[in-house]
Amino acid sequence: MDDVLRGPVGPAPHSRPGAGPPRVLVADDEDDIRALVCLAVAKAGATVVSAVHDGTAALAAARAEVPDLAVLDVSMPGATGLEVCIALRDDPATAGVRVLLLSAGASVDDVARGLAAGADAYLAKPFQVSSLVRQVRSLTVEQPA
Amino acid sequence: MTIAEVTPTGLTAVRPADRARRRRLLAFRGSARCSLLGRALPATGTFALAAALLGVGALPVIDPELVLAGLATAFLASGTAGLIDRTAATRSGALLVPSAHLAAVALLCAGTASPAVLFLLLGPVLALITAPGRRGVPVAVLGTAAALLVPGLLASAPAVGLSGALLLGPAVVGLAGLAVNDTSRRLARQAARIAGLEGERATLLAQVQTRADELDQATRMLAARAQTMTSVIDAVTEQSIIGTDRDGVIRVWNPGAERMLGLPRLDVVRKRSIVEFHLPEELAEVAEEAGTAPGLAALVHAAIERGSDVRDWTYVAGDGQRRTVAVAVTPRTDDRGVHAGWNFVGTDMTEARATERMKDQFVSLISHELRTPLSSILGYLELVMDPDSEPLTDEQRQYLTTVERNAQRLLRLVGDLLFTAQVEAGRFTLQPEDVDLAGVVRAAEETIRVTAANAGVKVAVDVPDGGLVVPGDAVRLGQACDNLISNAVKFTPAGGRVDLSLRAAWRTTDGDLSDDERPGAEPVALLAVRDTGMGIPAGEQGRMFTRFFRASTAQRNAVPGVGLGLSITKAITTAHGGTLDLESAEGAGTTFTMVLPRA
Repeated sequence: MDDVLRGPVGPAPHSRPGAGPPRVLVADDEDDIRALVCLAVAKAGATVVSAVHDGTAALAAARAEVPDLAVLDVSMPGATGLEVCIALRDDPATAGVRVLLLSAGASVDDVARGLAAGADAYLAKPFQVSSLVRQVRSLTVEQPA
Repeated sequence: MTIAEVTPTGLTAVRPADRARRRRLLAFRGSARCSLLGRALPATGTFALAAALLGVGALPVIDPELVLAGLATAFLASGTAGLIDRTAATRSGALLVPSAHLAAVALLCAGTASPAVLFLLLGPVLALITAPGRRGVPVAVLGTAAALLVPGLLASAPAVGLSGALLLGPAVVGLAGLAVNDTSRRLARQAARIAGLEGERATLLAQVQTRADELDQATRMLAARAQTMTSVIDAVTEQSIIGTDRDGVIRVWNPGAERMLGLPRLDVVRKRSIVEFHLPEELAEVAEEAGTAPGLAALVHAAIERGSDVRDWTYVAGDGQRRTVAVAVTPRTDDRGVHAGWNFVGTDMTEARATERMKDQFVSLISHELRTPLSSILGYLELVMDPDSEPLTDEQRQYLTTVERNAQRLLRLVGDLLFTAQVEAGRFTLQPEDVDLAGVVRAAEETIRVTAANAGVKVAVDVPDGGLVVPGDAVRLGQACDNLISNAVKFTPAGGRVDLSLRAAWRTTDGDLSDDERPGAEPVALLAVRDTGMGIPAGEQGRMFTRFFRASTAQRNAVPGVGLGLSITKAITTAHGGTLDLESAEGAGTTFTMVLPRA
């Protein structure tokens, strides 16, 4: 079973033909998980533009790089993944960045909070790498106009 | 006039003045109904006096025989009066006895020839003219005339003159008799009326006494009930019971309230408002949400709408300390059913809420700290075992498969613990949708198929071809079916069998199940999971759905597990409005029956 739950997905403004592989920001305070996510992103054919370990750094990196996708852990120091997601949505420069939340919280309430914060998808830990790869591909592919 | 009054203790008292009046009335009524002997007493007395005067020679004796006859007649008549009183002939005796006395006077008058003897007429004449009815008057006139005339006939010299005997005496007796008789009759009628009124009064008095007794009894009962209620309320020391009037002014303050809020009853009752023990900002917040005025209205608005309200409030004790209290608010009515105020029954939840917060934090910590490393273990295992990665030797793959299986087992355990905590905390929610239970059962069988085959257990599935839809949470129902089926396989030794049977059925209001539709019966889906395993001892079957309970047969046979699967399955079934039961015989096998409402 796929553990991914999705929110409303709109077009990916930064994925343009000929613009190279999708650019992904990875943020997780667990080094092992962060490295695992980076491997999954690479398997999905995307490029990790930044891999950070806290919410504050994630927000700064997102504003600097404006990636196509941000894979954010919910429980991070500095700012939680939910707070980063809300901040991205509030900033016109980053409002179009797709967000995939990763969290150890797997309850319905946890998922609902994540989607309410503006996330495009929510993946509960522990996740299958293959599921993460599919989600990265799905969220970074250009949507038909 | 008040003839009876209720004393402070509820007893009825009759005033002394009323007692004296009652005695006088009874005496008057007694005189109006005087006995013959009583009426004859004055005459008897005068005859006795005459006898004494004759004895001492104060009166002359002309003819001793007539005197003796007169005295004998007089005393015989008096004696007869006493006898007549004991018979029913009182009315006729009222005339006979005085008439006999008149005859005795005539004989004495003849025997003494003394006019002084005529004073003896007074007694019988009075008796006759005061006798009931008017007949006594003519009898008295005729008797008087006879008494005056007879001595002249019997003796040589008349006692009185002829004119006096025939005219004056009877005339006087007649006139006076008529007057006395009339007065006597009027008095008798009044006495009868008074006696009637007295009877009515006695009846009324008895009724008043009865009512007073009833009132006294009711007062005692009310006092006893009030005392019982007070003692019950005072016995509650772990809950605060606060009663207020309609304005929130405190009227009841039990020892529990004293203990919780640190103020004695005397300092609070009729002096403080319930609102003073609440946080103003909390009341304002509730008032804003409910759209009511702040203060008491915020406290009671939900109880006004729904009849009662239970929620957490923050009480501020006398020393300023804050307590989290679960307060039940209900309206209070008086003895006429009119709204009189509010009751606030509070249970101190400060410690309990702190414990709940700690438990939530613990669950959150477990969730993060166990699931996160499992994410790494399972994720990297998946990468290592990916067919696209470097090829593994068979031995390496076998080792890593073992690692993955145990990591998944640990993950299930973490999931079960978290789910159990959610159920216990009441935070277990369902995502309802139409679920094909037949598909869920088939999926569960597929999941366990390899394990069952390795254990030498045959699993047979019998589900409706067209499916069987129930409203529910597909994930949770799948979890419940997985638990039942994996349990059945786990507890069945090699060579055994597990049968999964799903069918449509109907459940009557009294809980009976039927394969045929019946009027009023609820359509249900019935899943039976039957195994030929080691079974459950009869004494342990009632505890099988208790958390962390493991049957002794499971422990003896070293079947792995922590005892959460069945409690979780029961919770899921109950949350879907269904039932889960078991039948088991040790050594023969067990059947779990899950019944779920159909769409």
